Amino acid sequence: MAFSAPRTPRTLTVMLVIMACLLGLTALPAHAQGGTLTIGTNAPVNLDPALGSNDPEILFNHMIYDYLFDVSVTNEIVPNLANGYGISEDGLTYTISLLPEVWFHDGTTFDSADVLATFNRLVTIESPALGLLSGGDFTIAAPDATTVVFTLTAPNADFIYGLAGRLAFMLSEEVVEPNVLIEGDGALANFNGTGPFVLTEYKPGESATFVRNEIYHASDNVLLDEVVHVYIEDPLAQIDALTSGAVDFIFKVPVDQVGVLTDAGVNVLSVPTNQHPVIRIRTAEGFRGEDVRIRQALKLGIDRDELNELALDGLGTVGNNDPIGPLYGNYYAPIAQSYDPEAACALILEATGEERISFDFYVVDALGYPDLATIMQQQWEAACIDVNILVRPENVYYGDNEWLDQELGLTGWGSRPIPQQYLLEAYITGALYNESNFSDADVDALTAEATLTVDPSARAAIYQQIAAAFAERGAIIVPFFAPMIGATSTRVQGLNMNPFPGLTDLRGVSVSE
Amino acid sequence: MRAISKLMIRFLRILLQRPLTFIGMILTVLFVLMALLGPNVAPYPFDDFVRDTAGKVIKRVPPSAEFLFGTDKLGRDIYSRVLWGARDIIGLAGLATALSVTFGTMIGLALGYRGGWVDEVVSRLFDSLLSIPAMVLALAALATLGASPGAIVAVIVLLYTPIVARVIRSAALGLRSAGYVEIARLRGESTAYILFREILPGVLPALAVEAALRFSYAIFLTASLGFLGLGVQPPSPDWGRMVYEARLDYARAPWGLWFPAGSIALLVISVNLTADGLRRVFRYEGSVI
Repeated sequence: MAFSAPRTPRTLTVMLVIMACLLGLTALPAHAQGGTLTIGTNAPVNLDPALGSNDPEILFNHMIYDYLFDVSVTNEIVPNLANGYGISEDGLTYTISLLPEVWFHDGTTFDSADVLATFNRLVTIESPALGLLSGGDFTIAAPDATTVVFTLTAPNADFIYGLAGRLAFMLSEEVVEPNVLIEGDGALANFNGTGPFVLTEYKPGESATFVRNEIYHASDNVLLDEVVHVYIEDPLAQIDALTSGAVDFIFKVPVDQVGVLTDAGVNVLSVPTNQHPVIRIRTAEGFRGEDVRIRQALKLGIDRDELNELALDGLGTVGNNDPIGPLYGNYYAPIAQSYDPEAACALILEATGEERISFDFYVVDALGYPDLATIMQQQWEAACIDVNILVRPENVYYGDNEWLDQELGLTGWGSRPIPQQYLLEAYITGALYNESNFSDADVDALTAEATLTVDPSARAAIYQQIAAAFAERGAIIVPFFAPMIGATSTRVQGLNMNPFPGLTDLRGVSVSE
Repeated sequence: MRAISKLMIRFLRILLQRPLTFIGMILTVLFVLMALLGPNVAPYPFDDFVRDTAGKVIKRVPPSAEFLFGTDKLGRDIYSRVLWGARDIIGLAGLATALSVTFGTMIGLALGYRGGWVDEVVSRLFDSLLSIPAMVLALAALATLGASPGAIVAVIVLLYTPIVARVIRSAALGLRSAGYVEIARLRGESTAYILFREILPGVLPALAVEAALRFSYAIFLTASLGFLGLGVQPPSPDWGRMVYEARLDYARAPWGLWFPAGSIALLVISVNLTADGLRRVFRYEGSVI
């Protein structure tokens, strides 16, 4: 028989208080919604949505504009303004259906005409976005307001990634000059997108303020009331701003600052990426890299584990000698790397008849690459290779195209959503950025085959053959793939940093006051 | 010789009266010795990664008995790098100063003695050159010439020759009508003789002070260019570049910044104190910056 003790008024009072507290707690959300997120970032320079390609520029435009498709943090295609797509059997026709109820910030309706205007503009201004869009070799039609049809002249397995490209923001056909400030009233009228936030104030080089778009097509997903971009150029000042509470989110933090951030008690975000340094030797006729033995000697003289440990405090992933990293899952083929300075010396002697070989080593002054070059110089010294380091500012190295002309160089390559981009941009014969002048019929044929291959396992097999070709006779060394480091204050919830931080989705983010 | 002995006695007396000058001179001498002998006494080569018995690089070790100034983020001994780096900074700044003083003296003497329209034109040219901020001119010149030790010397010579020339010119102007110069001219001595045997000794006090000051500024400029990545290339232990490299790592290894930055400051202060002492010895107040 159950027995319950008689309850006194005092006990009842205590129980009521406890129940009230419990009810109060359960009434609170799991985490506070809304709030203002302040981001410390470098200032955007080129605001044109079809041209501004670095993180601060993409971050800025990603607030205002949407894509047809997003690329998730795991590099998967996720519909956004499109709600589905179909591909014809011959792989030449892509039919995209659009969400029906989407509005621009000025209240006008988004429809297929805006998609046409957007992609026609990309072609007209020769946006770099065309790289994955068959170079612009397609036609586009709008059978109705919510359908768009792309017709290609040749299959392109990555076309859908092209539609989700970083520069393919959906623009209003009514805005002739997107993101151009207007003098006087309505200064921000050209910043008219369908995105989750509306630009309310922009002070070039200083700050930008955005508020939640109340007519956003998925307004329930947007938690933040306001987002403020504060422009801080110095990475150390960004860290100070975060640790002092002046900003809530920073990204592209130098890897060697992770310890500082951890000590400061902020949330450190580390995302694997395919960002990597490329050490390349020119293979054009008359250059010493033409001899595959010299290329092999350079590779054998590198201790990748030590490079990763010294340059990245061990936070990177040791790479092969090709640009396809572990970020791409099955497309990545781990190949055992050996560090053998004696074998390198023997190859140099065999190839040149000399005991040692020396190079001028051009290095871009970014991302700690001068330190990386210094470590490599030490390692190569034991491998009978002497290098004279010549550090160049970024604007000189890239601006004057010095990086495409030198015999031995160290260049930084950012992360891309798919590996095919690297191969098309830098490693097939005659590619625009083929800084090593590498020309290999097998790699060319395999890359072309990969372009046409939709099946992931077949593609993986192709990429593994390409990796093997690079390991055997490639002209580049990829010592490691670096993580992307960011940090948030403890007030921030729900922020998953994208490997390309400018693409970080802020819709599910909130900040507790 | 008697004049020089007199100056030396006066200099020693001022040294005793002004301990700061004395300290400055001692430190300057020590820095010069460091530049000459540093590489011989440094425990490690400047670019060596210090490893433990297991072969692992020992990085970011705080100052200790084994590593007096600690090790940097790449495991290099900072004490050794500072010792090696003294040669770079003092050598470059010293060479540039010597060349500036030589060229500036010759030009200044000639302008001051000859006068006339050549003096007017060249002086105005120098004025226009000096109206451009030194760092801006240096950056523009290095962007054109490329960053190398030779280019740095050339830039400093370009910057400082007009300054020295202007100082020497004004000193020579006051001497060209001196009686002993007139007598030499009447004796039929050559212009070179008059300039270097008659006028030059008279401008030596100004020259000594100016040379010391230029050396101090040259050190600072060399270090600044190194900090901006326009000095000598890595892994060279240029003090300015060491400060630049340690800056990002300051929170984890602040000693990487302390010692090269402290060395630059101490060297500049020492040379300035010495220059100040020289100025007092020669009772010379006419230097321009």
